[in-house]
Amino acid sequence: MVDQRLSVPRYWRRMPQYYRLEGVQCIKCGRVYFPPRAVCECGSREFKPYPLPSTGKLINFTVLYSVPAEFEKMKPLIIGMVDLGGVKVVGQIVDCMDPEKLSPGVDVEVVFRMVKMDSTYGLINYGYKFRPINNC
Amino acid sequence: MFNTTEVYVVAHSLVPGSRHYEKGLKELFAEAFLKILDQVGNVNLGAIYVANAFSEVLQDQGTLGAFLSDYVGMRRIPAIRIESGDGSSGVAILEAYNTVRAGIYDCVAVVGVEKMHDVINVKLNKALATITDYEYEGFFGVTPAAQAAMAMREYMLKYGYDYEDLAIWPIKMHERGSKNPLAYMKKQATLKDVLESEVVADPLRLYDVAPAVDGSAAVILCNKPVKSDVAIRIDGIGIGAYGTYTGQRDSLTELLSVRDATNMALRAAHVSIGDIRLAEVHDTYSILGMLALESMGLVRPGETPRLLSTGALDVGNKLVVNAGGGLKSMGFPGGASGMYELALMVMELMNVKPFESLGKAELGIVQDMAGFDLVSTSVVLRRVS
Repeated sequence: MVDQRLSVPRYWRRMPQYYRLEGVQCIKCGRVYFPPRAVCECGSREFKPYPLPSTGKLINFTVLYSVPAEFEKMKPLIIGMVDLGGVKVVGQIVDCMDPEKLSPGVDVEVVFRMVKMDSTYGLINYGYKFRPINNC
Repeated sequence: MFNTTEVYVVAHSLVPGSRHYEKGLKELFAEAFLKILDQVGNVNLGAIYVANAFSEVLQDQGTLGAFLSDYVGMRRIPAIRIESGDGSSGVAILEAYNTVRAGIYDCVAVVGVEKMHDVINVKLNKALATITDYEYEGFFGVTPAAQAAMAMREYMLKYGYDYEDLAIWPIKMHERGSKNPLAYMKKQATLKDVLESEVVADPLRLYDVAPAVDGSAAVILCNKPVKSDVAIRIDGIGIGAYGTYTGQRDSLTELLSVRDATNMALRAAHVSIGDIRLAEVHDTYSILGMLALESMGLVRPGETPRLLSTGALDVGNKLVVNAGGGLKSMGFPGGASGMYELALMVMELMNVKPFESLGKAELGIVQDMAGFDLVSTSVVLRRVS
């Protein structure tokens, strides 16, 4: 793996999002955002945490062969856009040996996986990925 | 604005994009910069705007401007570096234009410079991933190519095209490039070449991707023309923004920042989109070139592949798109891309080699964009004599 040093706090502060897909819901108008943001389109700045559902549907995807350095050993990556209860999230689709079987509309579930690993100190970053519910 | 200062492009240059292993950022910068300086002789240059996207990541160099102006013997002239991803050039042009228009300087230089081949491919991909929302996209391996691929899929579904239909973009761009001695890709491409090229991000193939190159291109902007016969004037510049996480977009087939930037530029120039005769669009991926044309209003949504295949956007028609072959043929020099587009447009409007066949078109537009519809600029240029 290409040399890289991961930053602990940079990762740690995003655990609610990376581990639990925690978005935010505007207290005033009810809009939900993932990733979280500071001001809602309605102008309100008050939000409450809103964990996204753990199942959804694939909307769009690509099989990416030319990847950034830290993913060299995992290529190709399947990058997909997933609808989780009306909120769209972009991420990796895993456990799919045959991407030909993927198509918009297939059911997926959120899984917790390793995203990348520090080559010097062995730190591991975990996060959400998506898995087709029926065999792929 | 209260004042009416006009802004002219009085010099232009470009270093043909390539793998310039023997040249660093400074040498590339100097090559383009000294050429424009020699064209104008003695002008009072107030500042240099430097468009560059990745020097921190690719060359470990920050405060880039300071060392570049010193290298060309101008350490007292401020060189202001503008970073806005692969759309850096358009923002640099906008800022430079504003200072001249506001009367702060009589003349300023704008130089785009990028050195993509100082690192191996996977590291370049990492640099490119910085033009996504890194915490939520780049972190998981999402790159601009992946975003373009999903946009292409959506476009094909929405308008009922097959991949073969969209292959017309690289074919047309290679055809133009084969007649352009400044191009990096000078060979023609057949449908078979495109269909047999490797898949980069399904359905996107190698021929859909503008090849990364090292390069530099430059212009000087002044408040009056230096030569009296023919001059290129900037009649309007617009900027638009729609920076967001990809998942929060309603559609991947509309570039809202491009639309806003173009409308702003057209308003400033007091022209309508139908008056435009020449267009240079930012085709880092073929789908983005098509979406740009449609979002600018130059082509009706969904019509680009059809129009291209009938030859309607070729030389000899009312509107000519990417006469030099676009970034597809010129190469993709990161943050310097928009300067290549601008330099080519100036040559097209001036009717100089290799663009004599374009006739005497008067109005051109140059569109530049960062990432997927994050920040865009449009520049309307007019040939005046």
